[in-house]
Amino acid sequence: MVDFSNEPTMKGFFAPTRFEADVYDCEVIGRVPTELNGAFVRLGGDWLYPPRFDDDSPFSMDGYINMFRFKNGIVDYKGRWVKTPRFKADLAAHKQLFGKYRNPFTDDPSVRALDRSVQNTTPLAFAGRLFTLKEDSLPYEIDCNTLETVGPYNFHGKYKSLTFTAHPKVDPVSGELICYGYEATGLESNDVFLYTINKQGEVTRELRFKVPYVSMVHDIGLTQKHVIIPVFGFVTSMERLKEGKVHWGWDSTKPAYVGIVPRDGEAKDIRWFKGPERATVHTLNARTEGEKVILEAPIYDSNPFPFFPPVDGSKWDPTKAKAYIRRNTFNLASKDDGFTEEKLFEMNVSDLGRVDDRYLTMPYRYAFTAYSDKQRPFDQWKAGNLGGRVNNCYGRFDLATGRMNSYFAGDTHSLQEVCFVPRKNGAEGEGYIIGMASNYAEMRSELVIADAQHLEEGDVVRVILPFRATAQVHGRWVDESDLPFA
Amino acid sequence: MPENHRSAALARRDFMGALLGAAAALRMVRLVPLAAAFPGVSSRPVVSFHLDRPYLDRSGTALPYYPPPGARSAQIFSNLDEESVRRKHCYL
Repeated sequence: MVDFSNEPTMKGFFAPTRFEADVYDCEVIGRVPTELNGAFVRLGGDWLYPPRFDDDSPFSMDGYINMFRFKNGIVDYKGRWVKTPRFKADLAAHKQLFGKYRNPFTDDPSVRALDRSVQNTTPLAFAGRLFTLKEDSLPYEIDCNTLETVGPYNFHGKYKSLTFTAHPKVDPVSGELICYGYEATGLESNDVFLYTINKQGEVTRELRFKVPYVSMVHDIGLTQKHVIIPVFGFVTSMERLKEGKVHWGWDSTKPAYVGIVPRDGEAKDIRWFKGPERATVHTLNARTEGEKVILEAPIYDSNPFPFFPPVDGSKWDPTKAKAYIRRNTFNLASKDDGFTEEKLFEMNVSDLGRVDDRYLTMPYRYAFTAYSDKQRPFDQWKAGNLGGRVNNCYGRFDLATGRMNSYFAGDTHSLQEVCFVPRKNGAEGEGYIIGMASNYAEMRSELVIADAQHLEEGDVVRVILPFRATAQVHGRWVDESDLPFA
Repeated sequence: MPENHRSAALARRDFMGALLGAAAALRMVRLVPLAAAFPGVSSRPVVSFHLDRPYLDRSGTALPYYPPPGARSAQIFSNLDEESVRRKHCYL
């Protein structure tokens, strides 16, 4: 029996959708730029069955991949579940067999031998293949035309970590993929395996090292010379897991560590810098300037996720769960293990920020992310009252001038993660921003596309879906030439 | 009693009876709330629609307007605190 009626936050716009869909030649408002050829691929989660435990994390939702395919000004939509062994086992049993986030001790005994990953975080197109990523397992390969699940992928057996990050970086200069797995040898292991994979998809380098304490290493920074590894706050232990708790808890006494290792270095070359309590879940960009390594990221003061509660039993503090765009500077010439931190903008933003990926690892000027502008109108009569939680704007943050340009989605809408699509041969920031808007008045999702250099002018085009699309964690633009599209 | 006097007395009696009945009825109206007298009718003003336009019916007797499923679809979060929402929807 499928029954979501007892879950107060899974109603209205936020109810599970639970269907697969094809929409051919989507309705559009405006004109789709014909230079946009490729696909906007989104990955997120939906509940096939209700969670087994009330206090489980939304990161346990079943993976759902969907794609807006752009070709010659026409847009088709396709959405499919990621059909993992977990999905299939649940479907066969007609119920949720899997327990709390990354805690196999809470699973039904019948599925203890199965891969329990849900593949719900980031899509990746690399070496001619499309993957779904979830940081607790290997990538899953997906057929880029049908979105059907092919299965786990280990780069011809050369990728040895049991896990694969949701945030690998593609070096725009070499085309290499820099990726890693943490808890690489199993639950509660402090092993990290860092890999370089060439653009043909062959593993060319592996570096194994250990982190100061077992923690979530969700994202990294990459420069032309260094890899930056943030470790912060979240802790786990086998005792905790055997007690039936969710994988992570937050320990505010743990310092934030940032490891810096040369891309051609060994484990002994890692420098660990130490700072105050912070949460660097996602990064924007990084660069090496002489002896200085600079990381810019939307960084939280403390724990952003109430479903990974404080280990000391205190109450989760929403006032510290706000991300600000900050710059961390690490001086490799210094013998000190500290680093400097600057807040670049005083306004808090969504931590799902992006840059023009052609400038990844290098000096750059623009960052893009969503934020909430309380001065903009919100039509509660039509949309309902979100309690002011709406991310109604995308901002282009100019790190050179400190200025910000803004795109407003509308007075009944909120925005999910932004993505930047560069114009071919254009300068930095020349192109489009693209992202999914939730229309709370019409109970539908809309893909918004705006000129990144003229955000105040609003949409260039809006692609209308006649239903709610599943919630996204991350979305990526994939150029026509990057995958064997039909 | 002359016939005309009897008729007048009966008319006065009927009139007084009607007056007392009316007073009693008015007293009932004052004492009994409308909602109690007519189950299903609200004593509070309601928003209703007439000829496709919203209006506030102060009597509470009009059919209240409820938005169709889908409209105001964010309303479920209106009374939830930040922790309750973000426990299930960390990226809206």
